[in-house]
Amino acid sequence: MDIVVCIKRVPETAEAEIKVDSSGKDILKERLTFDINESDNYALEEAILLKEKRGGTVTLISVGPPECEDTIRMGLAKGADQAIRVSNEGFGELDGFATAEILKNTIQDLSYDLILTGCMATDDGYSQVGPTLAELLGIPHAVLVTKVDLQDGNARVERELEGGLLEALEIKLPALFAIQTGINEPRYASLIAIRRAAAKEIKVLNAQAIGLERPTLRTRVENLFPPPVGKRAEILKGGAEETSKRLAQIYKSKGII
Amino acid sequence: MMETSTTPIWELRDIIIEAGATDIYKCYQCGKCASVCPWYQTEAVNFPTYKFPLAAQLGRIASSEGKEELAREVEEVYRCVGCEACVEQCPQGVNIPNTLRAVRRILVDYGSYPDTLKPVVSKIHNVGNPLGEPGEKRRDWAKDLAIPLFQPGMEYLYFPGCFPAYDPRLRKVATSTAKVLKKAGVSFGILGEKEWCCGEAIRRAGAEKIFQEAAQSNISAFRNAGVKKVVVTSPHCYTTFKNEYPLLGADFEVFHITQLFYQLIEEGKLKPHQLSQLPELGEPNDSKSQRAKDPIKVVYHDPCTLGRQNGIYEEPRGVLKNIPGLELLEIGDFSHQFALCCGGGSGGLWLDWPKGERMADIRVQQAIETGAKVLAVACPYCLQMFEDSVKTMNLGLKVMDIAELLAESL
Repeated sequence: MDIVVCIKRVPETAEAEIKVDSSGKDILKERLTFDINESDNYALEEAILLKEKRGGTVTLISVGPPECEDTIRMGLAKGADQAIRVSNEGFGELDGFATAEILKNTIQDLSYDLILTGCMATDDGYSQVGPTLAELLGIPHAVLVTKVDLQDGNARVERELEGGLLEALEIKLPALFAIQTGINEPRYASLIAIRRAAAKEIKVLNAQAIGLERPTLRTRVENLFPPPVGKRAEILKGGAEETSKRLAQIYKSKGII
Repeated sequence: MMETSTTPIWELRDIIIEAGATDIYKCYQCGKCASVCPWYQTEAVNFPTYKFPLAAQLGRIASSEGKEELAREVEEVYRCVGCEACVEQCPQGVNIPNTLRAVRRILVDYGSYPDTLKPVVSKIHNVGNPLGEPGEKRRDWAKDLAIPLFQPGMEYLYFPGCFPAYDPRLRKVATSTAKVLKKAGVSFGILGEKEWCCGEAIRRAGAEKIFQEAAQSNISAFRNAGVKKVVVTSPHCYTTFKNEYPLLGADFEVFHITQLFYQLIEEGKLKPHQLSQLPELGEPNDSKSQRAKDPIKVVYHDPCTLGRQNGIYEEPRGVLKNIPGLELLEIGDFSHQFALCCGGGSGGLWLDWPKGERMADIRVQQAIETGAKVLAVACPYCLQMFEDSVKTMNLGLKVMDIAELLAESL
């Protein structure tokens, strides 16, 4: 069972103070920390668990600048066997489709049974790369996957639907699954694995090497801005007792409690 | 549980030593460390303090193959609260917290550390405090007190630290401190927005790079403002300013606030009055006149970082003893260098161990058994940890900073 996992290095923005840069099209990143995208971390763990159960290899692929190698090494330390970084140099701006195209050109020459991605990147929130990559490769896919059970040539997966429903699917391999958070419990990397990962080679490919000089850019960011404050927003002022009383009144009047 | 292998991994030993665990070979496994480690006071946890130097010698820390066993090992590496009770007792001068900090540094570099600590590190890098509050609000606590920004010619920079600057409860400690300093006519100012987290806790949690960044930010802010003397509320700021920043180019004197308070009392610049019953204590209203004469029983908890690590035992007590109407008690066998840690150090504040694994729960129980109504502290971490325990255990004990008690008496 050879598994390819696509991972992205993203800035931690959930609890950070975010400022738009002077171009108006990106955020200032100097004061942000970076880590593996949350659902990609679950995809990575799922791949390692599947490898532990059934043998085979795990290959990591990430598109981005040299700093991505920190994230890749973390994945190698957790148990991935090999890694490729596709340098984003010369690609310019990338959207979900363009990233999927780069990944397709990188992956099509590899031998694989399964591709795992996260279900959404926490920075741009597009959720496009997984399904688009599957379409470009001409393989079936499932998104928001919460369970993976491999059989010979097939996979039984469960995925989340709206309204609390789960959908069970049987999918022919090779296939791509976009993994939902919470599917497993991501592991720590051990000191010895960290040590070994430091010495592992990360293959770096450029546009020429993957035969894609200019990925197709179909969307372009016009500008970023904080959402305008809604008209119905009400900021409660005063001490804890006063505001909690007022809050309870509002809840009651709206029939929430 | 998987069997932990003891086959040496020499290359791992070498990187642990390289990351700072330089004294592991001095350990001869006498086990004195274990006798004072605060984890031994908790019933639910087995934390064999004495094993870490040998484990490091063998390169066998956080090196298990199995996922579950490794998770347990990493958790163990993060249990040490850096109280240094073991360091105080070790006949060989082995610093076990330092050994574990070396391991943490390697883990943090690879993002392989507890998820609850990651936002703390991110927020300090992002906005300069672990609460994630914007820098421009760092001065808000001082708004009503008209505390000036530090100017050349002022004697002291008052550095409240992150929690006293932002946390609604801890702000009372900062405002009390400022009131006392004003009353004594001390010349002081604050840095406001230019103040950055001291970085002590995250350094001990292994985030060395972000600590270095925080330290450089403060060192240059102090230098640019012309600061020569800094007085701090938190023993954590104190220890890193005094013992670690000088190695990074800092050139200023540092005082813990209790040292300055005591000096001001000695010099006659502060004259505490009779402390009347504290309204927050919820004393019954009967025989009021009699009660007012009873001294308020206060027990002092030595913060590890102030006492054991910096030898400041007497000044905090000196302040409390000089407040009329206050009777100072001690926690028998667990006082001074034997004080039990609150559990908040080295990242412990954010790790949130389950009930049965909290040192603070044991400590507040010890405090209550002295008959005290007030547990006096001199550290924002201790205050938070103890207040949490008092609330969850529903105890009739008031936790107050020395600055708050002193302000009440002026």
